[in-house]
Amino acid sequence: MKRKLLYFKLLVLSFLSTMSFAQNVDVKGKVTSSNGEPIYGVNIVVKGTNQGTVTNDKGDYSINVKKGATLTFSYIGFAAKEVAVGNNSVINVALEAQDNVLNEVVVTALGIKKEKKALGYAVSEIKGEDLTQARTNNMANSLQGKVAGLNISAPASGPAGSTRIVIRGNGSISGNNQPLIVVDGIPINNDNLGNAGMWGGGDRGDGISSLNPDEIENISVLKGATAAALYGSRASNGAILVTTKGGKAGKGIGVEVNSNFVAEDLLIKKFENYQYVYGAGNNGLKPTTVQEALTSNSWGAKLDGSSVIQFDGKSRPYSAVKDNQENFYQLGSTFTNSVALTGATESVTYRFSMNDLNSKSVIPHSGLRRNNFALNVNGNLGKRLSFVSNVKYIIEKATNRPRLSDSPGSATYAINAMPTSLSVAALQESQVTPQNYELTWSDNIYIQNPYYASAEWKNSDKKNRIIGTFEPRFNITDWLYIKGRLGFDNFNYRYQEITPYGTPFSLRGGYGVNNRNFTETNADLMLGFDKKLSEKIGLNVLLGGNQMRQTYVNSNYSSGALNIPFFYDVSNSDPSGRGLGEQLIRKRINSLYGSAEFSYNGYLYVTATGRNDWFSTLASGNNSILYPSVGASFVLSEAVKLPSAINYLKLRSSWAQAGGDTDPYNLSLYYSLSGAHLGAPLAQISTSQVPNASLQPLTSTTFEAGFDTRLFNNRLGIDFAFYTRKTTNDIVGATISATSGYGSALFNVGEIENKGIELLVNFNALKKKDFTWDLSYNMGYNNSKVVTLYKDLATIRVDENRTRTAYINHVVGLPYSQVQGFDFKRDAAGNIVHDAQGFPLQGSLTNFGTGVAPLTLGFNNSFRYKGVGLSFLIDGKFGGHLFSGTNSYAYRRGLTVETLEGREGGLVGKGVNEKGEPNTVKVSAQDYASRIANNIATPFVYSSDFLKLRQIIIDYSIPSKVLGRSPFKSASVSIVGRNLLILMKDTPNLDPESTYNNSNAQGLELAGVPATRTVGVNLNLKF
Amino acid sequence: MIRKIALILCLIGTLGSCTKDFETINVNPNAPSSVPLDYLLAQSTLFITGEGGDPGYRSWRTNFIYAAMMMQHMSSVEVGFYRGTVYTFQGDLSAAWFERAYPNSIKNLVNLIELSKADAKQVNILSMARILRVIEIGVLTDVYGDVPYSEAGYAALTGTFSPKYDAQKDIYADMLKELEEAGNALSASAYIPATADLVFGGDINKWKRAANSLMLRFAMRMQKVDAAAAQTWAKKAADRGLMTSIDDSFGVKFANTGAGNNANPNSWNMFPGGRGIVTADNIQWGKTYIDAMKARKDPRLGVVSALKSGDKTPDKQIGLPIGTDATMLAALAAPLNSRANYSRPAPNMYNLGNTQFVMTYTESELLKAEAIERGWVTGTAKTAYDNGVKAGIKQINSYGGTLTDADAETYLAANPYPTTGTLDAKMDAIHTEFWMSTGSLLQHIEAWANWRRTGYPKLTPVNYPGNETNGQIPRRLRYSQGEYGVNPNIDAAVARQGADLFTTRVWWDKQ
Repeated sequence: MKRKLLYFKLLVLSFLSTMSFAQNVDVKGKVTSSNGEPIYGVNIVVKGTNQGTVTNDKGDYSINVKKGATLTFSYIGFAAKEVAVGNNSVINVALEAQDNVLNEVVVTALGIKKEKKALGYAVSEIKGEDLTQARTNNMANSLQGKVAGLNISAPASGPAGSTRIVIRGNGSISGNNQPLIVVDGIPINNDNLGNAGMWGGGDRGDGISSLNPDEIENISVLKGATAAALYGSRASNGAILVTTKGGKAGKGIGVEVNSNFVAEDLLIKKFENYQYVYGAGNNGLKPTTVQEALTSNSWGAKLDGSSVIQFDGKSRPYSAVKDNQENFYQLGSTFTNSVALTGATESVTYRFSMNDLNSKSVIPHSGLRRNNFALNVNGNLGKRLSFVSNVKYIIEKATNRPRLSDSPGSATYAINAMPTSLSVAALQESQVTPQNYELTWSDNIYIQNPYYASAEWKNSDKKNRIIGTFEPRFNITDWLYIKGRLGFDNFNYRYQEITPYGTPFSLRGGYGVNNRNFTETNADLMLGFDKKLSEKIGLNVLLGGNQMRQTYVNSNYSSGALNIPFFYDVSNSDPSGRGLGEQLIRKRINSLYGSAEFSYNGYLYVTATGRNDWFSTLASGNNSILYPSVGASFVLSEAVKLPSAINYLKLRSSWAQAGGDTDPYNLSLYYSLSGAHLGAPLAQISTSQVPNASLQPLTSTTFEAGFDTRLFNNRLGIDFAFYTRKTTNDIVGATISATSGYGSALFNVGEIENKGIELLVNFNALKKKDFTWDLSYNMGYNNSKVVTLYKDLATIRVDENRTRTAYINHVVGLPYSQVQGFDFKRDAAGNIVHDAQGFPLQGSLTNFGTGVAPLTLGFNNSFRYKGVGLSFLIDGKFGGHLFSGTNSYAYRRGLTVETLEGREGGLVGKGVNEKGEPNTVKVSAQDYASRIANNIATPFVYSSDFLKLRQIIIDYSIPSKVLGRSPFKSASVSIVGRNLLILMKDTPNLDPESTYNNSNAQGLELAGVPATRTVGVNLNLKF
Repeated sequence: MIRKIALILCLIGTLGSCTKDFETINVNPNAPSSVPLDYLLAQSTLFITGEGGDPGYRSWRTNFIYAAMMMQHMSSVEVGFYRGTVYTFQGDLSAAWFERAYPNSIKNLVNLIELSKADAKQVNILSMARILRVIEIGVLTDVYGDVPYSEAGYAALTGTFSPKYDAQKDIYADMLKELEEAGNALSASAYIPATADLVFGGDINKWKRAANSLMLRFAMRMQKVDAAAAQTWAKKAADRGLMTSIDDSFGVKFANTGAGNNANPNSWNMFPGGRGIVTADNIQWGKTYIDAMKARKDPRLGVVSALKSGDKTPDKQIGLPIGTDATMLAALAAPLNSRANYSRPAPNMYNLGNTQFVMTYTESELLKAEAIERGWVTGTAKTAYDNGVKAGIKQINSYGGTLTDADAETYLAANPYPTTGTLDAKMDAIHTEFWMSTGSLLQHIEAWANWRRTGYPKLTPVNYPGNETNGQIPRRLRYSQGEYGVNPNIDAAVARQGADLFTTRVWWDKQ
C-alpha cells in the first residue's frame, strides 16, 4: 500500500511539472452576469486546446494565450460565449442567464452536478424557497403534492412527529422503504426514534426533521435506483439530496433575516357523526350514583337537561356537549426566526446561519423547539486545490410528545371517548383526588383525564446533532481531478418519561430514560475524468470508494413502583424494580464504485455505473454484491429537425439494480440476562425474530423510460416516466404464528413488484407584461403487488389495531399493506347471519384494500401581478384504505349516529339467522353495537381518498425602486396557509391522513392528534 | 498538498481489504450466545406464571377476568371489562394465555429441553423442563382445546413457523408419557440445580411425586371421554407415589421486592403498585363463593376476605352478586348499592412474595378420593378426602393464614365425606371442596377445568344481555384472533374441534 502511495505521489508531481506553457499574450478581465454581478467559477478555455482557467470570487481571471486564440466562457445556467483575443489584453465579458432546458443542471448521486439532458432517469428538483414560506416543522411534509410520485404520509402525531416518504412504491416487505437522505453529499440518519403501535406510545420523530428549510438551496429527488445506483445498497428506495446554501461573493457581508409566524387550529372542530340525543350511561338509563356515572358509554337516557350525577359526585345538566374538542385543544403556534450572514474573501466564501423554531401544539403542554446553526465555507487554496466544508449543529427539544393509539396517557383518546353529556370543563375542574392521585372519570382505569394526561404524563427529549462534511478537490489537470469527502452525522439523544404517581392503573408510577448516541462516518475518495475525446465524443469517468461506519449506543434506565411519591428518578424504587440495559450496535459497509458516461455531439448520452458493497451484517461469502446500472438519454430535438412547436424533446431510459442488507446481529440466536430471582440468575432467549445465518443481500431491479418535452415556445412542459421495480430475495421479517415461539422470521424470499407512471405538466397559461399565470400538475400512480412471501405462505401480518379486529397484512397477489379485518358472517346472498340470540356472527378475514394510496397528485396555480403573487396547491391521494379504531370505539360507546337505531325498545338486526330465515330476534342496541365492535371491522373501514387545499401563499415583494435608499436589498412579505380545507374525504370525524405511525404498516388509525390548519405570515429581508 | 491527499488516502486507503473484522463487528456485545442452563431453568419456571415487565398480563385476563368470574369465586360490576362475569368476548382478553405462553414459556422450555438433552449430566434440568412444559401445555389445552404442542416453540430449532394444532387427545397422551418419562429420569445422583429450582429447591423426590400427582390430574380429566385411559393413568400415578403433604404442593416461589420480575403475577394484579384491581374496587369476591364459605363455616374466609376498611370479620363478609352490572347494583338498597361495601381479597392475598400454586396436595388427595371411589385406585376414599380437606385449610397459611389443625378438624366435621351417599353426592362433596380450595389459592383456571369435567359445584349461570353462550358458562376460550390469517393450521383445528366459540366443548369435556 505504501509503495502504491509513493507511486501515486510521483504521478501527481509529474503532472504538475509538465504543466507550464509558452507565454505569448497576457489576457485578463472580469466576467459578470448581465446585471453586473461578478460570477465566480466561470470556465475559460482556449478553444481547441485543453488550456484554461476559472474566475475567482470577484469574477476576475487571467490567462496566457497565443495571439489569435479564441476564448470560450462557460458557466452553468448561462449561455456560453466565445471571444476572439485579437490584440486585446483586457477582455470583460457579460454572460446572459439562460433558462434553456438544454443547460439545466441538477445534483445527482454522490453530489455530482450534471446536465439534466444527459440523464437517463427522472430527477425532480425543489428550490429552497418553496419550503420556507408555508412551512412545516418537519421539512419533508412540505414536499407533499409537489413532486410527481413522491408519496408523503405524515402520521397524526403532533408537532415533533416523523413522516414517511416513499418513492415509486414500497419495495421491501419488512425492511426500510424510505429513500436515503443525503445532505451536502453525506447520508444522514433518518431513523424513527420511537413510534406508536397497537398498545400506544408516541412518535419520537425522525432524522429529516432536524433540517432547517432556510438553509436549503435545493433538493434533488432521485426517484429510485436508476438515479441513485451509485449509492448501492442504500439507494434501492431512491435518495433525497439536500444541498445547503453556500456563501456568495458580494459587497461586504450580506445579511438575510426571515421571520415566520403561524397559528394552528383544528381542521375538524366537531365530531362529524356523533349523536347528541342520548347521554352518558348504560342500558338507556341516566346514572344515579357515582359508580354508574363512571362510564365512557353514551348508552344512557335521552338528554333532557336534568341535573345528573357525574364521576366526581357533582351533578351537572344532562345535556349535549358538542364543543369538547374546541375547548380542550388550544390554539397552537409556531415562530421561526432565522438570520444568515454571507460573505467572501479573496479565496473563501462563507455562509453562517442561525435559526430558532418554537412550536406549540394544539395539545396543551406539548411542543417543539429547534435551533439550527450552520456554517458553510468553500474556498480555493491555490489554483488547483479547492474545498467545500460545512458543519451543522442542531438542537431539538420536544416536550410532551402526545401519546397515540391505545388509551393510557392519551388525551386525544379520552376526548374521543367522552360521553355526549360530559364536558371537558368538568374534567378540568375535577382532575385529582385529595391525595393528588388521578381521579378517573370512567370505569376504565386505562383512560385518562385529558388534562391530567397532557400535564402529568410527562415526557421530553433533547437531541444534539452535528452533521459535518469536508470535501477537498484537487484538479490534477482540467480534465482529471481527485476528490475526497469525509462526512459524519452524530447525535446524542436523551428521552425521559414519567408515568405519574397516582394514576390508577399504576398507582406507584414509574420513570424511564433512554439515551442514544449515534454516529455514522462516511469516507469517500473519488478520481474523476472528464474530457472531450474528439469534437463530438466526450467521456466522463468516475472511480471511487466509500467506507461507511455506524455505531449506535442505546441505553435505558427505568424504575417502576416508586417509593417516594411524585419523585421521579431511577433511584426511587427498590433495586429489583429498576431496569437497565445497554446495546452497542455496529455496522460497516465497504464499497467500490465507478461510472462512465459517453456523450455524442451533445444529444446522445450513455451512462453505466457499478457499485460493489461488502456488508458486515451478513455472513462472509454472502456479504458482497455488485449493483450495476445503465442509462441512455437522447435529445431528439437536438439531433433532428422537429416541428417548430416542439422546442425540446428528450427520450430517456435506464435500468438499475440496488439492494440492501439486514440489521446487525440477525444471523444467530442470543440470550438476555434478566436479573435474578431468589438468588437464581435468570436468562432467556432475547431474539424474537428467528435468526437466519444464510441471509443474502436483497435485490431491487428498476427499469424506467420516459420523455421530457417543451412545447409552444416553452410554455408547455411535459415530463413523463414509466417504471417497473421488482424486488427479489427480499429479506422478509415475516410475522409467523406466535405458537412457533417467535413473532417473526427472517427469510430471503420475498418478491414485490411495483409499476407506475409519473407525470409532470407545467403550463404558462398567461404571460402579459405585468401578469402571469402558471399551472403545474403532477401525479404519480404506483401499482404494487406482493408476488411471493415464503414457500406457500400467502400472507404475513405487519400490524394490528388495538380493537383486535383489523390488521395490516401483506398478501400474495395483492397490493402492499392490505387493510384486513373480520367481516360479518354472510350467507350466499351477502346477508348478515345472526346467531339464535339475534347477534351478528363474525365472518372470515377480508382484505379491504391497500392502506397505501396508489394515486397521488398535486395541482398548483400561481398568479403574479407586478410584485404580488398568489399561489395555491391542491393535493390528493386516491385508492387507499383506513381502518378507524376511533370510530370503532365510538360506535361501541354509543357515540355515533349509527347507534341511534333501536335505542328504545330494541333492535332487530337486518339479515338472516343460521337457518337462513330472516332474523327476528330483538336485542338491545347497546349489546348489538358492542358485539359488532368487538368482532367485526367492516363498518369502520373507509376509503382514505382525499383532496385538500394544501397550501396558499400570497406574497408581495417591495419593488427595488421603493427600497432604493434603504439598507435593504430586498424585502418581501407573504401570507401563508397550510392544510386549509379538506375538499373531499370519506372518514367521519377524522382526517384520512391519520395513521398513528410511519412504519411499513399503513392503514390503521386510533386516537391520533387531530389534524390542524395553519395560517400565518412570513417576512424576508436581505441587506 | 500532496501530503493532504496522502492523508485522505490513508484514511480510506484500506478499502476492500478490511472486511476481515466484519464477523467480529457483527457479534452482539450485549447479549451472550450461550448461558448456563440453570439460568434458563429459573426464568422458564417464572414464565409458566407470567412475564417480567407486566407479570400479571395473562393472569389478569385469563385467571381473573375469565376464570375467577366464570367460576363465581369473584365478581365485578365492570362487566365490559371483567367479561367472564357475563360470558362476553374480547380478543386480547380471551387469547391472553395463548398469546403469552408460546413466545415465552414454551419457546424457552423447548430450547432448554433441546440444550439439556445434549448433556447427560443435565438430566434433572431436562426432566424439570419437560414437566414445566407439560404444566403450561396442560393449561393451554384445557383452556382452548386443540392447540399447537408437538411443533410449538421450535421455530429457531427446526424452522417450523406455522405449528400444527395437535388434537387434545394426542396432547393428553403425550403429556402423560412425558410426566412418566421425566419422573423416571429425575435422578438424585445427577447434577441438581438447587438454586434455580424455584419450586422445590432441588428436592428430586418432591419433583417425582409432583409429576405423579400431575399425572393423576390429567388422568382424571379424561374420565368422561376415555374412562379406560383415565383408569390406567390414575392407577399408574397412584402406584408411583403421589404428593404426601402440603410441603409437596407444587408452586412457584416469589419474593416481595416490589419488582415485576420477582412478583407473584396474581398478587401483582391486585396490589396497588401493580395493576391495583382490588384497591380500585374493580373486583370483589363473588356472592356464590362467600355464601358457600359461610354456609360451610370455612375458616379460610377470615384469611382470604376483607372489607374495604380492612375488616376481616367472617360474619361481615359479603360477596358481590354474580352477573350484576353497575346499573343493577345501583338499584339495590343501601349499602348493597355500592361495590365499595363488598368483600374483596384481603391484602395478605396479594403479597408479592406469595407462592403461585400449580397443583396442591389438596387437589391430589381429592382427585385420589374420586379415583378410589371409581375403583381405579386402591385405598379409602374417605381418608383421601379427609386428607385433602384438612390440607386445604392448612395450605391457606401459605397466603398469610394462621389456621391450625383444630380449625381443619372443625371444618372437616362440618363438611364430612358422604361415605354412604350416592356417587353423585360424593362427587359433589369432593369437587365442591376442590372449588373451595382452588378459589382460596386463586387457582381459578384449574377450578374451571375441574368444574367443566365434574359439574360440581352446581353453579347457576347468568343470562346477561349480549352474552355469547346463550346464558351458559363457557366451555372454553376462543383462540388468538392473531392466528387467523397467519397460521393456516388453525383451520384444521376448528374443523376438528368445532367452531371457535365459548360454547364448543374440548375433547375431554364430553357431554
